[in-house]
Amino acid sequence: MEIFPALLSVVTDPTLLAAILLAAVVGMIVGATPGLTASAAIAMLLPITFYMSPLFALAFLYVIGKSGRYGGSIAAILFNTPGTAASAATQIDGYPLARAGKAGKAMKVATISSVIGDFMGDILLVAGVGFIAAIALKLGPPETFAIYFAAFVVIGSVIGKSIVKGLASALLGVLVAMVGLDPISSEERYTFGSFELSNGIGLVPLMIGVFVLGEVFSQMEERRKSAGRIDDNQTAADDDSLTWEEYKPCLPHAFRGGLIGAGIGVLPGLGSAIAAFISYGEGKRRATNPQQWGKGALEGVAAPEAANNAVSGPSMAPLLTLGIPGSTIGAILLGVFLIHGIQVGPTLFLTDKELVYRLFACGMLGIAAYGVIGYFGATQVARLILKIPTNVLYPIIFLTSFVAAYSARASMFDVTVMTVAGFVGWLMRRHDFNIAAFVISFVLAKGAEETFRQSLLMSDSGLLIFFERPIALAFLLIGCAAIAFRIRSIVKERRIADGELGDA
Amino acid sequence: MKRRTFLGAVGAALAIAVTSGASLAADWPKRPINLVVPYKAGGGTDAYARAISKAAEGILDVPVVVVNKPGSAGLNGANSAVGARPDGYTMMMTSGGSFLLSTLTLDTDIDALESFQFVAQVGQLQTSLMVPTGSPFQSVQDVIDAAKADPGSLRWAHSGRGGFHHVGGLGFLASNGIDAQDVPFKGGGPTRAALIGEQADFGFLGVQQLAGFEDQLRALAVNSQDRDAVMKDVPSFGELGIPFAAVSSPVIVFAPKDTPAEIVSAMETALEQIASKPEFAELLAPRGTGPVYQKGVDAKATLSAMKNDARPLVESLSN
Repeated sequence: MEIFPALLSVVTDPTLLAAILLAAVVGMIVGATPGLTASAAIAMLLPITFYMSPLFALAFLYVIGKSGRYGGSIAAILFNTPGTAASAATQIDGYPLARAGKAGKAMKVATISSVIGDFMGDILLVAGVGFIAAIALKLGPPETFAIYFAAFVVIGSVIGKSIVKGLASALLGVLVAMVGLDPISSEERYTFGSFELSNGIGLVPLMIGVFVLGEVFSQMEERRKSAGRIDDNQTAADDDSLTWEEYKPCLPHAFRGGLIGAGIGVLPGLGSAIAAFISYGEGKRRATNPQQWGKGALEGVAAPEAANNAVSGPSMAPLLTLGIPGSTIGAILLGVFLIHGIQVGPTLFLTDKELVYRLFACGMLGIAAYGVIGYFGATQVARLILKIPTNVLYPIIFLTSFVAAYSARASMFDVTVMTVAGFVGWLMRRHDFNIAAFVISFVLAKGAEETFRQSLLMSDSGLLIFFERPIALAFLLIGCAAIAFRIRSIVKERRIADGELGDA
Repeated sequence: MKRRTFLGAVGAALAIAVTSGASLAADWPKRPINLVVPYKAGGGTDAYARAISKAAEGILDVPVVVVNKPGSAGLNGANSAVGARPDGYTMMMTSGGSFLLSTLTLDTDIDALESFQFVAQVGQLQTSLMVPTGSPFQSVQDVIDAAKADPGSLRWAHSGRGGFHHVGGLGFLASNGIDAQDVPFKGGGPTRAALIGEQADFGFLGVQQLAGFEDQLRALAVNSQDRDAVMKDVPSFGELGIPFAAVSSPVIVFAPKDTPAEIVSAMETALEQIASKPEFAELLAPRGTGPVYQKGVDAKATLSAMKNDARPLVESLSN
């Protein structure tokens, strides 16, 4: 019950509260802006947090992640463009509602459901993370590798429109991760004699490149293709209020979504988009009015919104206890911990327990903050975004990404990496490759290789070590079960799983 | 009268022009001093740099800015410092042992002893032999006996091949004629976590890593002749009479080769004052480290001696 003193200490710190509030607003705006994702914003803001205290930096970025997931729903409902991949499912019912003049109602349902889902996720995290941390110390390289394996399988099988392209994206991520020094023998790989490449490719420039620059390029292309796109769905705000009678049928969907999201969040590599689609599918299957779904059912907004936000909290569990980032945001947060000299992993709960619980407390306050702002102000946020012309916004984003890429390590080479990654990201988008699968496998590949080879060193190169240790075996079985499950349902899934493994 | 004033002014201007080279050194420091740390923030060396930066207030008139340039086992930062303008505003602080070993093992033009001027040593990082608390090994001799009884059966963890913990561990194994399989982890933190989780039978990691983990780990010996100045409860290989390789890592401040001698000696004096400040020791204490000051000349001698000790071990690495 460490969370209560932590909450108290956070509540009594006005500057921290201000930071949480600011993060909630920033996240909402970023999430609601089509083309700007929360992970991109976090990557760009990362260098600024070098100058903050660890709790400030982590709370700021963590809350942006939460509120960005929620903010995505605003754009999905109003503009029929998901602000983040995580809210692609929201758009199925959200946009018809907006067309019917019920945008305000839909946004309120989205807000309440996001808050419910997010709180459920965080409560489960707080309740369970100590237990996971306690067993995490007993997990050695073989167990960790098995978890990486399960994560890889899951990414590989939930890769969006084209399985081949999804796998190719993941493979590319693995290949790029190989650049640099071999984690065990410290020999150079794929460096082509370049001193800079021997450092490997940095995560931050890579992410800024593919997520931010790549997106800017894609948007430039979009604009040339379809100049004069109109946002004609700004309806009169007459039907904006939401009654309890209207929300009541949404409640079971929100709770189910919360559970689905939390369950998916614990598994590294899945992420919000998947949770949202599964929750939407499950909700529709169990709904009393399935024929309404897709044409503007409020329940169809509640189910995916609760799920995509519920991912946020539990996805911190593998990150904090094992050092395995389950999402792109998680990977950046991992960097923040390291920058501030905090070692993430099983010993975190021995060294910095208070900090962790304070971070959780900040997350909960952040949920409350975006909930209140969103409930009363989502329409205003949406208007604000419409007011900023893209020919002002994108040049600013473009410049900021260069500054952010340079300042992370004061390295011009990183700027080159970012630029190249930007073009790669644009090409991948253009040809429907899966960017998130690319980045997540880039992140996972290093750890997977390291733990695999450590295991082999421990066992004199015998593979049986993965089967003799019960926890490792269990995770390998989970991975195999995931493959079997996906193959079985792949035909059914492909109809609804149009969304990608997105901004998790 | 006027003419004399004029002449005086000309003379003064000339004097300024002539001495401007020297006054560059005399005026030092005028701008913030960048202290390059070639490792990520949060490590042992970085802790020293940040403590120096804080404790420098009141001794140096300008701030000392810590610039982390990680990568390539510390050579990335060293590369940027070696080519920096030798004006006394860019210096490097690094873990001397790791720096030396990486210049020996990796392909680089930098020579740890020749490419820089040694300003001063301000700290010391020592490696040590540790086991988890649940381990049957109560003493170093237990480890040696177990390794001899069943050669190659033991696993030992360290924080990366080629680092001074690895070389120190290799030195211990070689001097005692025993054999064990190493399992490298990435950095001190993961190594410690693996050892706590009993993933290896023993490990070589910084003796300061024990601070706060006394319930989970048992340090059997520190890899030196005498006990560590801060972690005083840990016996040393020297007092136990167990042979070892004297590999440690003095934390040294380096200046680019052509930095004027006045600046180097001014910085050396400043560092001596900083290192003797109680505040400096207080900042380091929670990390399990403390101030260990040596003049630049002596630091260079220490590192040269270590180079001779480490050479056979390094050669065994690249087989």
